[in-house]
Amino acid sequence: MKQRTGTVFETSVQVRARVNGKDVELTVDPRESLVDVLRERLGLTGTKKGCDHGQCGACTVHLDGRRVVSCLTPAVQAEGTEITTIEGVAGPDGELHPLQQAFIDHDAMQCGYCTSGQIMAGLAAIAEGHADTDDRAREYLSGNLCRCGAYCGILAAVRQVAEGDA
Amino acid sequence: MRPFAYARADSAESAVRALSEAGPGVKVLAGGTTLYDLMKLDIEAPTSVVDVHRVPELSYIDTSGDELVFGAGARMADMAEDPVVRNEYPMLSESLWRAASEQLRIMATAGGNLLQRTRCAYFRGGEPYACNKRNPGSGCAAIGGADRGNALFGISDSCAAVYPGDWPIALIALDTEVDILGPDGERTIPLAELHREPGDRPEVETTLRPDELILRIRVRKTPAGRGSAYVKVRDRESYAFALASAAVAVAVEPTGVVTDARIGIGGVATRPWRVPAAEQALIGQPLTPESMRHAGEVAYQGARPGTHNVFKVELGIRVVADALRIAGERAAR
Amino acid sequence: MNVRVDARDKVTGAVHYGDDRVPPGLLYARFAVATIGRGRVVSIDTEAAEAVEGVRLVLTHESGLGLKNSGFLMSGQGFGFQSLQPLASDHIAYRGQYIAMVVAETPHAAVHGASLIHATYEEEPFSVELDADGVEVFEQSNFIPNHVAGDADATLEGCEFVAEGVYDHPAQHAVPMELHNTTVMWDADTLIVHESTQNASSIQAGLAAQLGISAEQVQVISPSAGGGFGNRNSLQMHTSLAAIAAQRLGRPVKALVTRPQAFHNGSFRPATRQHIKIGMNAEGIFQAAVHEIDQQTSRHDLFPALFTEVSARLYGIKNFRGHQRLIRMDTQTPGFMRAPFEHAATFAFESAVDELAVLSGRDPVELRLLNDTMVDPISGLPFSDRHVAECLRTGAERFGWSARNPQPGSMTAEDGSAIGWGVALGNYPAHVVPVIVRVHADARGGLRVEAGGHEMGQGLRSALMATIADNLGIPASDVTLIVGDTRAVPQHVTAGSWGTASAITPVHNALQQLRERLGLPETGPVDLAAAVTAAGGATVTVESANRGPGQPEAIFDRLRSGLVAISGPQYADHVSFSHSAHFVEVRIEPSIHRIRVHRVVSVIDCGRVVSPVTAESQVRGAVVWGLGGSLREASEVDPRYGGFLNSDMAEYAIPVNLDIRDIDVSFVNKPDTKFSPLGAKGIGEVAMCGVGAAIANAVHHATGRRIRKLPIHLEDVL
Repeated sequence: MKQRTGTVFETSVQVRARVNGKDVELTVDPRESLVDVLRERLGLTGTKKGCDHGQCGACTVHLDGRRVVSCLTPAVQAEGTEITTIEGVAGPDGELHPLQQAFIDHDAMQCGYCTSGQIMAGLAAIAEGHADTDDRAREYLSGNLCRCGAYCGILAAVRQVAEGDA
Repeated sequence: MRPFAYARADSAESAVRALSEAGPGVKVLAGGTTLYDLMKLDIEAPTSVVDVHRVPELSYIDTSGDELVFGAGARMADMAEDPVVRNEYPMLSESLWRAASEQLRIMATAGGNLLQRTRCAYFRGGEPYACNKRNPGSGCAAIGGADRGNALFGISDSCAAVYPGDWPIALIALDTEVDILGPDGERTIPLAELHREPGDRPEVETTLRPDELILRIRVRKTPAGRGSAYVKVRDRESYAFALASAAVAVAVEPTGVVTDARIGIGGVATRPWRVPAAEQALIGQPLTPESMRHAGEVAYQGARPGTHNVFKVELGIRVVADALRIAGERAAR
Repeated sequence: MNVRVDARDKVTGAVHYGDDRVPPGLLYARFAVATIGRGRVVSIDTEAAEAVEGVRLVLTHESGLGLKNSGFLMSGQGFGFQSLQPLASDHIAYRGQYIAMVVAETPHAAVHGASLIHATYEEEPFSVELDADGVEVFEQSNFIPNHVAGDADATLEGCEFVAEGVYDHPAQHAVPMELHNTTVMWDADTLIVHESTQNASSIQAGLAAQLGISAEQVQVISPSAGGGFGNRNSLQMHTSLAAIAAQRLGRPVKALVTRPQAFHNGSFRPATRQHIKIGMNAEGIFQAAVHEIDQQTSRHDLFPALFTEVSARLYGIKNFRGHQRLIRMDTQTPGFMRAPFEHAATFAFESAVDELAVLSGRDPVELRLLNDTMVDPISGLPFSDRHVAECLRTGAERFGWSARNPQPGSMTAEDGSAIGWGVALGNYPAHVVPVIVRVHADARGGLRVEAGGHEMGQGLRSALMATIADNLGIPASDVTLIVGDTRAVPQHVTAGSWGTASAITPVHNALQQLRERLGLPETGPVDLAAAVTAAGGATVTVESANRGPGQPEAIFDRLRSGLVAISGPQYADHVSFSHSAHFVEVRIEPSIHRIRVHRVVSVIDCGRVVSPVTAESQVRGAVVWGLGGSLREASEVDPRYGGFLNSDMAEYAIPVNLDIRDIDVSFVNKPDTKFSPLGAKGIGEVAMCGVGAAIANAVHHATGRRIRKLPIHLEDVL
């Protein structure tokens, strides 16, 4: 139904976004979450779904340069945004981002299921200036659970890159 | 999740008009961290949704005048980082960055944070738990159940679910007003009049009407803001809701005597809870371990614990006292 | 090898876990669950779900599934985490059990459909707590003898010092980051299963049994699992349902179990109550111990309690009486969750030992050294190797233990926090399971190694790659390593810290065979391309099968049948365990009394360390688990409703980054060659054992309060 205000209610919504530098246009049901669209429709399965309720951080991506949990982001809200997932972090020739390399060097992972989210959160924390001390970094990485308990390595990796950037 | 119709508003006015025209079953969607979450649990089931997340006129923070003004769409993360908020009102900043995670704070908005719904496990757990909030008339499984998380204040026989927010605990201690836009125009209420105690209608949590939209939150500036702190105790160091929290602000004379005191307590009440009696108990007194403890005791007078949350009385008293100690140190700087 | 071999894939999001497959034509499945504590489904209304746009199929117990029972893994003849298959009948054994599966074109249509399933029930009384009316008490000695040596009860009478206590441990959930899922498809008569698991062969054999097809018709592919911790160690109950749906619809189906559903449709650490008495003489020598355990199990399965297997071997206590009982109640069947019994057993036993140290005024490290043993008091056999004393001495040194003031509450930090220093030991049985390894070497220098074992993050790939690199001196880039794949070799359950120890031997042996076949020297780096070319150029394949000491040749039949085939820890002429010592500093805030683990020093005796980087990470992770298990995690039960109340990742509090500070890890790193030629034993669980006790002992040292239940919350020390 078309409202006279120009506000349109739809059950099927056209969404245009840039995902890892590529233009994407999709018709989505307003119920669809961004994580489901990324994984099931765009094949970007590096973003993980660990809880579907914003309680674990595994689905963290960057939306217009800021970190969000994609499970609690309705895909319709991605309209007009720029999205970066873990698949968009390395260089075009597969050259690892320094934080990815630091994760390897500090063995900041075990099973790897939370790792994409940790890296997306870590990149954001560094950019936000929230990784300038160990304790602040711990606090600002606490939205990303790691059940394997790789927190020491994750902290070391993020701190190393944060210090390198400073 | 039930199907729903989605509309993206481009202004506050168009959002309110869309709310009216959509009729019953419509909800405002902002950051989605409460509404969309509960829709996934089938606890919220709107038939239509008006998305205000990117309405430009709602997304601002203005701390330049004699009020702190937060547009309803301002993000929690940004409010926490605002220099005036951080430096002049540490309890506001702390109550924001000690909530949820940075991802969620980047998504969640000021208006949405006020309206955050309870984390009571019996509410969120859905069927088969009895919950008057979710299913009016079904009873309250939390009372007499696993009640470690239950509220101590503002409870009724129908509901003891804790209001889970942090920032509003700090706001309630200050002079905060909420501007609301409805079909008939704007109205303003004190924050204290926004949230309802459960009474016999726990499903009605606020005085906001379905066709109304929070426009902004305004906080009168006060010198006490500088001497403020938000202390939050939870089952892990971060990324958890409060077992007990306290937002306190004090103004202290050079002699050490308290001239103004503001105290809000969280994790223990069914709505943002201010304790004027505890504030009064401090005014005119120096901040000593005894006076701070006493303020905590006054704050927790009338607490109604159940079985597993009795400890929250003593914990809460100490949290108030600890917050006062930190706030007092800041006020003295 | 100083990096994790799959690290690059993990930091780029390139690893494919079970849930990451999106084959063309994929359909999505979600579940509806029972809302009663026990009873039966009287009617189930699927109409509304079927009417949802995009829903293609709804399965219920009325759908004529013809599902046969997969049996219970620990029965020795089964494959499932429990014997109860939901939807096989109208029986509801516990709240949260699946009652319907909805399959749809999209995830959101499946979710919507599942939310519209409505059932009516006939309810029956149920019990979900250890001391509830209606539970059944089962003497475990009916199928597993109690550990007994000497006469503990009589000896206790004459002891100078006796520590006695009752220790409560709640149910806990493993909560691996990857949700339970499966993606299944049929290729003609062959069922292909992509599912993250620790036990691909149990899924293969279990599905074959359930569906009435041959195991050859089932392929299970699990290159990497997003966490295991025991939670994926057998056939899950959703997989056969997805397979039937895929068959009926002729399309691939991906089923996803939501987080709250996973709390009810996967195994968990059962609730326990332990009663412990340890008696000591004036010289500080433990004379006798009694360890009695009541452990939760389900009504339909007997999940064994194996507490005294470790507690009887921590020290040389000559008089020991173990007594283990199972308490049957109305939950899903509990199971193995990282150090399933040993975490709770060492918490209780090592707390009691600390109590004896306090009672007698002896230093807790000295007391433990005094009671060390090289002989297993139960069997009388020697330990194959045991470096408990070195763990204690090294740990004490690294921690700075000598500066400890034994008086509780005597040490204070600058901010006024009470400091507590605690120590505890852990031990964990060293098992071996049969593993088959096949190696193919080609003329281009490529090596394909197919091994039995699963990668769940513990670092199996890295350990195997280190073994290969060590042996042949070839780079990892020349090696294709296949694990967790039933198309390659049989896949025994990877759990119990036996995965690496069991797999490296046949890998090593296969490589030695390969050297022999190619006429290469027994050691030293090799040029595979040249050797294979010289041998004629055709790909050379060798196979090696290894089994535990004393296991018969027929054990490989069990391996191939997807059944458990565990040997140890008692072998013909020795017993084998891994050991650990943990030193913990807690700091307890002056007013609010938040308990913070300030630092941990852990020393692990696990024989030879095969892959140092991943081994260290495993220890750190295990310490995090110890912290979570003793300060954070409890699965809450409301007896009026059944099931678990706090069944999500917000309410079930696992540790976050800010909870974790310094964890200092070191290894004794002495090969236990009596245990195996390469001398490596398990790490992942022994490194968790004792952490809980060390924390509880540190809390006692800080506060003078002996907390005999986990988790310890701030209200316990307020």
